[in-house]
Amino acid sequence: MPFVRKYKDMNTNLEALYKDITKELQNEKELNIGKELKGEINGVPFMSATAYRSSIPKLVTGTLREVTVTITGTSNDYLIEMHTGEWFSNLAMPYFGASILVGPLAGLAAAGTTGLMAAQYGRKLKNTIKDLVKKHSKADYSDEKVETLI
Amino acid sequence: MPFVRRYKDLGTDLDALYMDIISELQQEKDLEIGKETEGIINGVGFKSVTAMRASLPRAVTGTLREVSVTIAGEPDDWLLELHTGSWFGNMILPGAGGFLIAGPVGTAAAAGTTGLMAAQYSRKLKNKIKELVKKHSGKPYTADKVETFID
Repeated sequence: MPFVRKYKDMNTNLEALYKDITKELQNEKELNIGKELKGEINGVPFMSATAYRSSIPKLVTGTLREVTVTITGTSNDYLIEMHTGEWFSNLAMPYFGASILVGPLAGLAAAGTTGLMAAQYGRKLKNTIKDLVKKHSKADYSDEKVETLI
Repeated sequence: MPFVRRYKDLGTDLDALYMDIISELQQEKDLEIGKETEGIINGVGFKSVTAMRASLPRAVTGTLREVSVTIAGEPDDWLLELHTGSWFGNMILPGAGGFLIAGPVGTAAAAGTTGLMAAQYSRKLKNKIKELVKKHSGKPYTADKVETFID
């Protein structure tokens, strides 16, 4: 699921924020940064980093496959998008602990209680990004400066 | 959006199918293969490839960012998952032609009418995969052997 947030009037050092976010991705041992794109699009700075899962997971359903974090805009008006991708995320029926798959494939859809799960990692990364935005912004962080679009 | 389909009783050569899907991804000049994961999970064969956009796009919203194709299972009972990711995919108000956002970031989120769009590429790849499944299956492809879980 993507998560998109708009920040206004924060006077944020976007370069420093981006660097710290890529560092955060690198700190997760199951992830490797695979691609970074930096430049300007329509005159607006754009930075995007994607990290992939580095090894085969023990379970499939809901396991983190890749993470992309993108920052675009200027220090007083910018967007952050975070995408966490997971394998076969909707194949286990929530609340019932059952799988819609039978036969050999059922093992794939077993809900994982261990390992790097996308939802869990997404939540953690969102909180870290919030801390990092505060760290790299000269203006105070307040609710009216932040809008969650998706 | 992910697309997940289950195929039964097709006798598909999954290795050959996977290789042809990789070739298909490699043919798209705006993509580069970033990661391949292959092995066995809970006794079931598993192959997954992710290709990333190779260069900075001209427009952001809806532009293809990455594609993942995963095949898991055995020749007569397997799953295929196709995921296409796009930047700021839902930032345009459908039907209204306007942006949810204004200011400099409004420009960054401008919709591209050219370039490699995620929805367009996904449609093309789905059709290509259908052809490849037929090509690499030992038994006839019929609608009752295929079930789409998520589309």
